[in-house]
Amino acid sequence: MTGRSVPVSAMVGRMVRDESGRRIGRVEELSAEIDLHRHGNDYVVTRVVIGRYGELDHVPSAVQVVCSGRQRWRRWAGYRQYEIPWQWLDFGDPAHPRLRRAADDA
Amino acid sequence: MESLSLVHDVLDAQLVDRREEKIGRADSLLLELRDGAPPRVTTILIGGAVRAERIGPWMTWLHRAIRRLMRREQDGVSRIPFSAMRRVGDTVQLDVDGEQLESGHLERWLAKHAVCRIPGASGERK
Amino acid sequence: MKKWAEVALGVVTSIGGFLEVGSIATATQGGAEFGFQLTWVLLLGVVSLAFLMEMTGRLAAVSRRTYVDLLREQFGVRFFMLPLAGVLVVSVLVLSAEIGGVSVALQMATGLGFRWWAIPVVVVGWFLLWRGTFGLVEQGTAMLGLVAITFAVGAVKMHPHWAQLGASLVPSAPTHDRARYWYLAVSILGASISPYLYLFYSAGAIEDEWTLDHIGVNRVTAGLGNLFGGVLVIAALVVAALVFAPRHIQVDRYEQIALVLASPLGRAGFVLFLATLCITCFGTTLEIVLAVAYLLAQGFGWSWSENLKPDKDARFSVTYSVVLLLAAVPVVLGLDPLFLTNISMVLTAASLPVTVLPLISLMNDEHTLRTHVNGWLSNTALIVISILSVVLLLAAFPLQMLGGG
Repeated sequence: MTGRSVPVSAMVGRMVRDESGRRIGRVEELSAEIDLHRHGNDYVVTRVVIGRYGELDHVPSAVQVVCSGRQRWRRWAGYRQYEIPWQWLDFGDPAHPRLRRAADDA
Repeated sequence: MESLSLVHDVLDAQLVDRREEKIGRADSLLLELRDGAPPRVTTILIGGAVRAERIGPWMTWLHRAIRRLMRREQDGVSRIPFSAMRRVGDTVQLDVDGEQLESGHLERWLAKHAVCRIPGASGERK
Repeated sequence: MKKWAEVALGVVTSIGGFLEVGSIATATQGGAEFGFQLTWVLLLGVVSLAFLMEMTGRLAAVSRRTYVDLLREQFGVRFFMLPLAGVLVVSVLVLSAEIGGVSVALQMATGLGFRWWAIPVVVVGWFLLWRGTFGLVEQGTAMLGLVAITFAVGAVKMHPHWAQLGASLVPSAPTHDRARYWYLAVSILGASISPYLYLFYSAGAIEDEWTLDHIGVNRVTAGLGNLFGGVLVIAALVVAALVFAPRHIQVDRYEQIALVLASPLGRAGFVLFLATLCITCFGTTLEIVLAVAYLLAQGFGWSWSENLKPDKDARFSVTYSVVLLLAAVPVVLGLDPLFLTNISMVLTAASLPVTVLPLISLMNDEHTLRTHVNGWLSNTALIVISILSVVLLLAAFPLQMLGGG
């Protein structure tokens, strides 16, 4: 099992695309939980939160961040958030994460 | 199972040591990417060099230039295993001794060579 | 009962905090050149500042972290560089102007050149920060700053046309010298809405260990304190309008501004003006240098507090010491204090977006503020202030070129 060390900041904000290259959204948050095992207890990333603004995706992220106050406002701007399990993402190239399915998730 | 939001709750959060004293902010978090297993959170990094990298290449260059001027070989970055994390809240508490951290070097140096040379610098609370 | 004592203290502190070299200089210049006409700008500045301070105070009371803490935590270190640079550069310039203000007051009192006074002023200020607690700095300068009530006394004694004053609370366009009018408007807003004020206020809330119980105290302090402070600055404008404008005196030196209270109050007025200038600028000097040290310490996670002995927060203590010394340099070199003041006020106005816009997100973040997020009134005010800040950024430099003295 090869392990590569990557800073979280290199993964956050990256555009996630699916198999056919379609944009899904940007990585916004990584949820971690404790995984108890024989050799100790580590935090592992279980879910990745991806957000998309639809048309506004082209807007620089600083602007998105400043406008991100209320959930209500974001939804009005066409914002959607998806929480997907880690298995669905291929982080082989951390700068270009790929979704292992077509773009049909809840 | 309590889940932790890495970006919101840990990254850039104020870190405190065993004695609840401030030791800096979580300037970076390292994840170990593994085939067939979820990414594992391994290390918390504190230090100017790591911050500089996040800001941009020009900042990294500037930081390295300053370190060379001050003739410091080590990069002044503390690497703390994520397992040292005790509590996440308004601050993130780590089970370490702030005095031993590499990233606290400037604070200790200034306290010893600059601050303590001036009267009234130490003692009981003001 | 104790809560009310806290409120009273907070209000008094805000009164003293509002008056400093920038507000005195811009208000008196404004009054001298345009009579009562610019009063509405002062009112706009006061109300905007009151809203901003209430918000950063609420942030601290609810989240137990300062505005700077949240800027770093919510937006990340890369974005943080923007407000860091903006506030740092501008605040050091304003700090120089304040040191200049104290030095000029001492020059007029003693005859010894202001360049010689810069170092003693900085040494005394440094000593108070090194040995004093936050309470001492906050309350000591607040109490002494009440000497600024002189302006209100002077204004009343001159029997201003109250109806005319009331009418000028409504925005009006100038009849002559349009560029100069709007230039002074921008400077007045820069003097009133200064980032170091609401940053310091937020850090002060944490130094004073505010909790959810202080939400009400926060509102009263931010509101009343700035209101009273605003009244005093308006009084300064009124006096300048009644003393200088009829004689068509254009004010371009502090020596002239100092005579503004001589008409209503005679020789005592001159002395009281010097005392006011000296004390309010000195208090603001301490406030700004602490605000800069808080900015760096909180942004980078150093230990910080004015209540800690310096060896416990070495980087913080060294920062305020170094910044104080650096800010004295322009004054020692003889840079004209009034010029320095005017420039720093315009720059302050231009720098507002980087500390105002992030509040739109923070004050509506239910995760951080829970039920204490902005209501419709605060949000409306914030949007208006945000638009104002962007307008100021765009207008500042053209107006400096066209209307700068």
